Amino acid sequence: MKKNSPFLIVILLLIAAIIFALTAGQYHITLETLRNIILLKLTGKTAGAELATPAMVLWSVRLPRVLMALLAGSALSVSGVVFQGIMRNPLVAPSFLGVTHGAVFGASLAIIFFSTAAFSIEASAFIWAITAVTIVYLIGGRGINTLTTLVIAGVIVSTFFQAAGSLLKYIADPYEQLPTIVFWMMGGLNNILWVHVIRAFIIISAAITVIYLFRWKLNLMALGDEEALSMGVNVKLLRAAFMLFATLLAAASSSSCGIIMWVDLIVAHISRTIVGPDHKRLIPFAALLGGFFLLMTDTIVRLIPGGEIPISIITSFIGAPLLGYLLMKQSRQWRE
Amino acid sequence: MLSNEILTVENVNFSYHDRRILNGISFSVKKGEICGLLGSNGCGKTTLLKCINRILNIESGIIKINGCDISKLSRSEIAGLIAVVPQELHVAFSFSVIQMVLMGGTVRYGFSGIPGRKDFTSAYDILEELNIDHLASRRYNELSGGEKQIVLIARALFQRSEIMLLDEPTSHLDFKRQHIIMEMIKKITKERGLTTLITLHDPNTAGRYCHRLTMLNRGCVCHHGSRDNIFHAESLESTYDMKINIERTESGASFVSPAFDLNKR
Repeated sequence: MKKNSPFLIVILLLIAAIIFALTAGQYHITLETLRNIILLKLTGKTAGAELATPAMVLWSVRLPRVLMALLAGSALSVSGVVFQGIMRNPLVAPSFLGVTHGAVFGASLAIIFFSTAAFSIEASAFIWAITAVTIVYLIGGRGINTLTTLVIAGVIVSTFFQAAGSLLKYIADPYEQLPTIVFWMMGGLNNILWVHVIRAFIIISAAITVIYLFRWKLNLMALGDEEALSMGVNVKLLRAAFMLFATLLAAASSSSCGIIMWVDLIVAHISRTIVGPDHKRLIPFAALLGGFFLLMTDTIVRLIPGGEIPISIITSFIGAPLLGYLLMKQSRQWRE
Repeated sequence: MLSNEILTVENVNFSYHDRRILNGISFSVKKGEICGLLGSNGCGKTTLLKCINRILNIESGIIKINGCDISKLSRSEIAGLIAVVPQELHVAFSFSVIQMVLMGGTVRYGFSGIPGRKDFTSAYDILEELNIDHLASRRYNELSGGEKQIVLIARALFQRSEIMLLDEPTSHLDFKRQHIIMEMIKKITKERGLTTLITLHDPNTAGRYCHRLTMLNRGCVCHHGSRDNIFHAESLESTYDMKINIERTESGASFVSPAFDLNKR
């Protein structure tokens, strides 16, 4: 069916990207070796001497990393879709609404004052991310042109939390705490273990499922508050719930991978132009495209010679010019 | 109170930032009627519609539908009673026409609210009824002003409420389409036994299509009653604060025009 061809294309791209990401890298695994290792695993046999190293690389390093990239990419993109829907603005995203800097601040706070245990970092990141986006919403929802004020409120709150985060970095112990904080801020998938993947999978799949179940209400929210109200939707409650789950997605991704900019905005925006605004198609498509996008970016990061660079550098190099282009295109439409 | 009064507004007050917008508004509408709200810009017509739909909460007074106070109803109960056709809806994301119409039925879809196959069929039937079934898969933002308005009316019908509120549905349409839309509203009100409350700019349109008129001036009801009783120059003059002529044509229709002497200007 022609209507579903974008899905088919993105699934094929995704499969190709997964195979490429599993084989390429400093330790090259050929396609044949990959097939043999998978066959061994499926039949339950242990790898022989010549397959021991590639099997180890594949199962404990590369596969968790690939899966995490898929999960984080999907989580960020769906989060972007939800925020764009409830704020009715195709150019907003959690990373621009204070979620990111709130999460960094929360994580730094936990690292310095509480413990470096994963759970306390994540919980604190999530709570401060929610706090930041709520403040943005309270400031930005009041202006005459709410779309503009929302973006400006995002800048204000982000700047504030960025400053607070810098202050925390300044007082952090340079040997124990600072490296953890910096890792968090730079973002990257180089220390991913199976435990991260499993935890992220549980949170992300649960949150996306809940959002997908309420996809029709999200359509109504995208029309506007008064519209949704007159069609019987409890707008305040629903918006709070959607914001909570979307922030949870962003926080679940950043608790394992740190801060990854731009994926949310760009993938959500592009998905919308490809499959349209109906969230029934938009949410699954954005999840697939987001997984593909982050996996490809992470593979590029791994393959660049001279050591891994932070993934946000690549996503920003792609995202910033793309957003500039989209803005120019949009303003041209307004003028016409 | 007569039993066929479906909507009653009693002594309603509403202020916005200390500015009184609605001042002791009282009127009622009978079942099956088209009631027109007339008044100059800023007299509170749109605010009144929003209060009736409880988008805005009134300060004091009472609004009843079928004798039931709307402040005691839930959001979805109100949506079951009242459907709204906004003036001109701009949407950030361009849904297809059939989706827009399906959204009207949200209160019937249950907890998570996903429309089923039956809902698609009955939404499509409404598109057919209004002769816009060929637009079903078109994007809403690509439609012309008149087509958009018909889609919004279709959505209101699909909501299956007893009362339809329309906020200046014809203000941005050309002469022909204004009357196409008004004829459509007249027809569906009659055929489906709806009650329609409609704000209008043009007293001629109101005189032609409404059974009942409520005239507002500075947040107060200055005249209310059946069209035949109150559609005359004096009532319109006190509504719009200007001199007005009404000419009766041979066919019995009235034509309202401002009483300026064109040659002197």
